[in-house]
Amino acid sequence: MGSGESDSYDLELVHGFGSSPIQRSPSASGRRTKRWSFHDSSKPNLVDLPSSSGVNQRRLSDLSGIDGVHKEIDSNHVSPAQLYSTESGRLFHAGKICISLAGLPGRGKTHLSVSLTRYLRWLGVKTHSFHLGDYRRASAEDDIDHDLFIPSSTDPKVHKFRRKIVKNCINDMLNFFQNDKGQVAIYDAVNALPEYRVDLYKKFKELNIQTIFIESLVTDNSIVLKNMKEAAKSSPDYNNWNYEEAYRDYSERIRILTPFYQEMGLTEEEKEISYVKFTNFGERIELHNSNYGYLINKVVFFLMNSRIKVGSVYFARCYNNSVEYADDPPLDEAGKKYAENLSRTIMDYIREQGKTHFDENEEASENVTQMKESSSSSLERVPAAGADGVDENSFVIWTSVKRRTIETTKHFARKGIKIRHRIQLSQKNPGKVGNMTQEEIAKNFPGEYEQLLGDPYHHRFSRGESYHDLAIKLEPLILEMERMSGDILIIADDTVLKVLYGYLMACSCYDIPSLHFPMNEIIEIKFNAYSNSSKTIPIKNYV
Amino acid sequence: MPVYSISHIENVRVCVVMVGLPARGKSLIAQKIVRYLSWLSINSKCFNVGAYRRALVSEKGIDATFFDPRNKVGLEYRESAADAAIEDMMKWFVEENGVVGILDATNSQVERRERILQICRANYIEPMFLESWCDDQALILQNIFDVKTTSPDYVNKDESFATHDFLQRIKYYEETYQTMDKVRDVDLTFVKLINVNSQIIINRIESYLESRIVYYVMNLHIKPRCIWLSRHGESEYNLTGRIGGDANLSERGWRYAKRLPELVLNSLGEENKHTNLTIWTSTLARTQQTASFLPYKKKLQWKALDELDAGECDGMTYEEIEAKFPEDFKARDDNKYEYRYRGGESYRDIVIRLEPIIMELERQENILIITHQAVLRCIYAYFMNVPQEESPWMSIPLHTLIKLEPRAYSTIVSQMKADIPAVSTYKERGTSQLGESSISSYASKSRDLINNSSSLAKK
Repeated sequence: MGSGESDSYDLELVHGFGSSPIQRSPSASGRRTKRWSFHDSSKPNLVDLPSSSGVNQRRLSDLSGIDGVHKEIDSNHVSPAQLYSTESGRLFHAGKICISLAGLPGRGKTHLSVSLTRYLRWLGVKTHSFHLGDYRRASAEDDIDHDLFIPSSTDPKVHKFRRKIVKNCINDMLNFFQNDKGQVAIYDAVNALPEYRVDLYKKFKELNIQTIFIESLVTDNSIVLKNMKEAAKSSPDYNNWNYEEAYRDYSERIRILTPFYQEMGLTEEEKEISYVKFTNFGERIELHNSNYGYLINKVVFFLMNSRIKVGSVYFARCYNNSVEYADDPPLDEAGKKYAENLSRTIMDYIREQGKTHFDENEEASENVTQMKESSSSSLERVPAAGADGVDENSFVIWTSVKRRTIETTKHFARKGIKIRHRIQLSQKNPGKVGNMTQEEIAKNFPGEYEQLLGDPYHHRFSRGESYHDLAIKLEPLILEMERMSGDILIIADDTVLKVLYGYLMACSCYDIPSLHFPMNEIIEIKFNAYSNSSKTIPIKNYV
Repeated sequence: MPVYSISHIENVRVCVVMVGLPARGKSLIAQKIVRYLSWLSINSKCFNVGAYRRALVSEKGIDATFFDPRNKVGLEYRESAADAAIEDMMKWFVEENGVVGILDATNSQVERRERILQICRANYIEPMFLESWCDDQALILQNIFDVKTTSPDYVNKDESFATHDFLQRIKYYEETYQTMDKVRDVDLTFVKLINVNSQIIINRIESYLESRIVYYVMNLHIKPRCIWLSRHGESEYNLTGRIGGDANLSERGWRYAKRLPELVLNSLGEENKHTNLTIWTSTLARTQQTASFLPYKKKLQWKALDELDAGECDGMTYEEIEAKFPEDFKARDDNKYEYRYRGGESYRDIVIRLEPIIMELERQENILIITHQAVLRCIYAYFMNVPQEESPWMSIPLHTLIKLEPRAYSTIVSQMKADIPAVSTYKERGTSQLGESSISSYASKSRDLINNSSSLAKK
């Protein structure tokens, strides 16, 4: 890296935040050959996990339900909420950063690295998570030999093996930084001993890469138990395992490793390292040596709102009256029908899961005081008075402020479901083209139509908004969404749904405009430690 | 006519309880939070226990010994001051639908915090303790310097007496100070800032609103810098009294654009004339044309800086709006902040889209923003703490460069007129005529905000 590094850093200083409006240069420099590719035969193909069903390529024009968060990003990649691009590929004057995780198995490290990757990529930061486990699985002769996990093992073979996989992993990270304009590499490994961590820190420091550790600690056993169940079900280590056996094996692995794990910040050498202690998945966040600027502040903001999600996000379109952007008519008859069918489909679907949101609360009681009056001991704190979605078994609806979306929710309102109206969820303003069809646009504005085809994500018609404008506007909602553990139903125009889907399924900005949400379907996004999945629920015709 | 009100933060109500010894920047943080949240239309208010104490005890009697933990009388006064502040805060939560109240006091003992906690819980308010802890002597001395020059306790007092007395007061507090503790306070929502953010402990953040406050506090910095604001030069639409659109500059507008580089240089002053500015404009032609003669390389366009979208009224004059939508016209005058044009935006909507800009402005250094009347009012309102009901009525004339210098406890504002005539685009309440009359008392009070704003900011 050496001398080139300072140049690219300066370049970013010159261009500054937001300096050059994003422009897609699709074939300007062509796609790079992959230099740190996982796709040689010895390594697992991450794109397809966990649904290794042989689907190699995400089909861009439909909702195939494959999460793009593990997809390799090429250096021309432009993210949905990216505000600007730089020659170096790096943003926010933050340089290159390795976010290294630390913590025992079952502490949600993989979940953390994947959800952080999703958020940072969304912001336009070129991020990739490197899971040491993938390298272990790719190289190990016998995958699940517990001895492999013991740092102080006396077996020289184990040491050699560990060194080898760490070296491979770090090598890929360096390639990512050097050749793929990578900015943040997330290193997902146990990193049990101070010397492992200090070595990594020193090595990267020499190469001008800042290392920040996020140590995931859990003092609440119920969280570990939950994670263990999840791992036994979905960890690639236990593909084709019987669940009970997998569970037993995983808990054995944790039991063996636990005595060797040493917490961060206890040795003198570690005191100068920047690290975040992340306890009980967000219950406590401790930042040490934390003057590291905007990008990491963003990470911490995300961590404050990151929760292990149990519920799903449901997307439904608001009824399309094919109205002018500025109009705000009430629902017509067909719209009312749609609202009822939609509501009943969702309610039935959720009841089938044994949830009871729609059975009680016949009368809407949104009043906090009322809600809390029942709990007599006022020193009891959980959940925070009035916060949405704290409970895993909760259901909240978000809609725009348009009359038709509000009316669509009235069946839920009657059941006392919380309904939140957000101006940010209003449809993309089409500007001067109004609700012209593609053909009409092509006919009336041939020049601009060309531009639209060239970059449908960023093209903004006069007085209108682009998808990119929507993405920026929606960012606060995304964090609120991350925070909510229960179910959320979002009823909005498809332009908005495309962008939110793009976040949850890690789409690049090239994919988003061509996503298609049929009127007669609801999309459900389910959360998973390793990747999200989406499926469609047909809206039934009750009326 | 705002048909639907938007609840932005659910029903969470938060009491931010400041914790820390004197001279740890508590008041500064408290004030900034209030300013930021109020600007986001989150009803928030700071309750300063010192002010209550001063109301109870005549000023003359106060010196450091008043704060001696063995001084029974002093103790009693201090407790009743704190109680009164909390009582008022709880009343405010209920009577004025408060959302975030900030209790600005040392709250340095567990016993006191426990009491606040109980009161909050009894009222279904989430307490969040925000401690500023500092053992960096240089920082503390700098703060003491700020405090003793601004604190009402040391008005008309000799400077060396003030320093000495204040240090003694801190000593007394130190005797009984109990910092937030990871073990003892494990169940509380608290944030502990250690030596100005070099270490931060964030415990049990329970709502998005709380996380927003913490994130904001993390982004604050106090580097000296300036922000310049200007409207675009007079546009062709301005000449005919039309709103919105994407018109070009008028002949006089172009003259302003040509004059602007010189205005900026004058404002920078001789010694800073090489300072490099970053120029932010909207995506509309008139702001870019206005920026076109500025010699700075860094010019960025932000969609978020575009003018308020007047929806169906875009391109109309106020007279035409009044004729075509008389009810809307009146509704807008009645509540200009909330009024959303048919198919367009309200001032509140602008604030929502400006939020990333504000966070970025907190982080950035020297910026010149060339934008539009409504957007400029919103940005100005953030820095100068102008209340919502007044900000849409502020007069920000064309062809004028405004300079803001944020300081620890206030923002200094100055303006330079380019001396190029332009039409007035100011519309007073209750009329469709443009221009500033001298009759309407409300309007003239509001539109003078800019001229009075240095005093306003120190309020």
